[in-house]
Amino acid sequence: MSAASVGSALLAVEGLSVRIGSRQLLRELSFTLRPGEALTLLGESGAGKSLLAEAVMGSLPDALQAGGSVVMEGRRSRADDLRARRPLWGRTVALLPQEPAIALDPLMRVAPQWAETGRLVRGMPALAADAAAQAGLAGSGLAGSGDKFPWQLSGGMAQRAAAGIAMAGGARILLADEPTKGLDARWRDHTIDLLRSVQRAGGCVVVITHDLRVAQALGGQLMVLRQGEVVEQGDAATILARPAHGFTRQLVAADPARWPRRAAPGPGPLLLGAEGLGKRFGDNILFEGIDLQLHAGERLVVQGSSGSGKSSLGNALLGLLPLDHGMVKRSAGLSATDFQKLYQDPAASFPPRVSLGTALRDAARLHGTAWSSVEHRLGRLGVAGDLLARRPAQVSGGELQRIALARVLTARPAMLFADEPTSRLDPVTQQQGMEVLLDALDETGAALLLVTHDEDIARAVGARFLRLGENGSARSGQAASVNG
Amino acid sequence: MSAVLDLPELAQGLRRRHSVRRRAGLSLLALVAVFSLFGPWLIGIDPRVQTLAESLSPPGAGHWLGTDVLGRSVLARLAAAAQLSLGLALLAAVTAAVPGVLLGVTAAWRGGRVERALVMLSDAVLSVPGLLLVLLFAALAPGRHWALYVGLSLSLWVEYFRVSRAAARPVLAGDAVQASRLLGFGPGYLLRRHLLPALAPVLGTLLAFSAAQAVLALAALGFVGVGLQPPTPELGLMMIEFLPHYEEAPWLIAAPVLLLTLLVLGMMLLAGDGEPA
Repeated sequence: MSAASVGSALLAVEGLSVRIGSRQLLRELSFTLRPGEALTLLGESGAGKSLLAEAVMGSLPDALQAGGSVVMEGRRSRADDLRARRPLWGRTVALLPQEPAIALDPLMRVAPQWAETGRLVRGMPALAADAAAQAGLAGSGLAGSGDKFPWQLSGGMAQRAAAGIAMAGGARILLADEPTKGLDARWRDHTIDLLRSVQRAGGCVVVITHDLRVAQALGGQLMVLRQGEVVEQGDAATILARPAHGFTRQLVAADPARWPRRAAPGPGPLLLGAEGLGKRFGDNILFEGIDLQLHAGERLVVQGSSGSGKSSLGNALLGLLPLDHGMVKRSAGLSATDFQKLYQDPAASFPPRVSLGTALRDAARLHGTAWSSVEHRLGRLGVAGDLLARRPAQVSGGELQRIALARVLTARPAMLFADEPTSRLDPVTQQQGMEVLLDALDETGAALLLVTHDEDIARAVGARFLRLGENGSARSGQAASVNG
Repeated sequence: MSAVLDLPELAQGLRRRHSVRRRAGLSLLALVAVFSLFGPWLIGIDPRVQTLAESLSPPGAGHWLGTDVLGRSVLARLAAAAQLSLGLALLAAVTAAVPGVLLGVTAAWRGGRVERALVMLSDAVLSVPGLLLVLLFAALAPGRHWALYVGLSLSLWVEYFRVSRAAARPVLAGDAVQASRLLGFGPGYLLRRHLLPALAPVLGTLLAFSAAQAVLALAALGFVGVGLQPPTPELGLMMIEFLPHYEEAPWLIAAPVLLLTLLVLGMMLLAGDGEPA
């Protein structure tokens, strides 16, 4: 790297590494971003992507040691000199954290939080900061939500608010950790616009993601990480068009847009009929007047933007959420345990202090399923037997979702409600996870009610669609017939 | 974020510090327990036998901690007092824990009117200072063990009720319980696999705390003369008996104070400042 290129750079990272004791978590990596440039970091979960963001920020936990150096706006500091970069937080460099629910102050309404950043970080007068906050809220599609508390916002809305607030201090370097996680296409595009506007304003952006579409849309540089090591680095468009490394090829192929469409079996007898379903939270109408029928073996996908009540509809059909209007009628002869659910966060759906094997054995015993057939199922799902001795928090999301699938299948369900079952997984794991789910459904003949915000996944999986609109409306549709 | 926090190396230091504290607390308590259980038998002196000729004799070969004004062996009395305090406190803490936890879980589970009624009851008990409640019962039957025990249990159950209700609510509202219910598991299973494992660490801490509270309450009542009555050997009683002689025989008052400190310190160390994962 020449001295000149570092000189004009907004952010330069040289030979950055992170280790704990003798274990290397992140191997030497370097990049340079000039004003207006972007870098996307792609990689599987646990590849050390988030560590990179924390090392650049200077917010690594004490037990981790960083090596190399970081240059921000011409100021060079050693990577392990965490204090040197602290004065730059908010003004020069901002971090958009992964979980907005944790990043926002739960006891403070959104608009004051936004204005506070302008006032305290940027030094704006109170009135100007308030006006800037209102403008920012409107620009993020949160015009009516300034008076709400973060816990009253949906995940996507909270994420937008967190993004806006992170940048309200006027930072020119933005580090974004999974900024589009859990967002539908519309708000993903909005987030990408937001990141682009930082670039246009002469800033630079480092985005950590496993969403290929962000990398495609943002352009600029791309770095592919695997187990803390850079396997490919260069121009995003070039790499995505012609991935050289096997792992990158795998990542690109796992993009939901490239998934083959699967044929669903023809619908069988009626499982469940719903009429005039309506639900509201306060003044917020989630859905109303929804009529719905679900047949055995069917694949129904519920779509809608974040906060549109997709999950609530599924929960209502399962009888987990009381309805304001309408009724759900299950066909005669079906037992209560014929309707099962796969959760977005599988770790939260297991008893946390019991080993996975115990939880599985309990379920198998309750439903009279032989343990040997559960083991057989686990084998087909690709779950290693030694995982069962662990607790839910000690197993990765992809593997845990498979174990959750094995657990609900012990009840031999007629219908499975899958609530964004793969949205927290990286693309490769996501594709594998969805495939084993559909294989299992093909085999058992259970119907699927899939809630997803991802258009591509919906297209690949669904035979019938229900789209929830902004103000409680719903539109249903049928997939064009698929051969195969 | 989570990737960073999941590193086992990070948690290790914290856990080690935690376990050292607990081990220290446990050893202290074990020491006191051994002393109270085997002390009377090892010493072999009746704590009530008075030998007026040996009044206020200093620590020596015959009486390691000397004798009190009536010539009774302080060591023997201390062992008997430790047995009484430890036994009564543990008994009161456990009898308070069982109904407290059951009612707390019931309130969280049932919600609605049942919960409101139970919360009102606990608030009513809480509005009377704990020591006053014990005092009331002590006044009903002065100097009787059972009155103190009932009073202590009645004042201690509220803490268990509040803590277990607060801890059970998020568990019952969580996805894990919802998933188990969907799978068809009944209340017994939810209790065994979800609620009790979640409550156990909190209750362990609380048990140590409330036992310490009971020990202190017993001593305080004895000290002000409304608890157990002489000649029963009791820590608070011993302190008030030894107080007049603190200038001529300072080792006397030091003994029960030290034992009380060790007992409460052990319980506090055991309780720790957070629950282990």
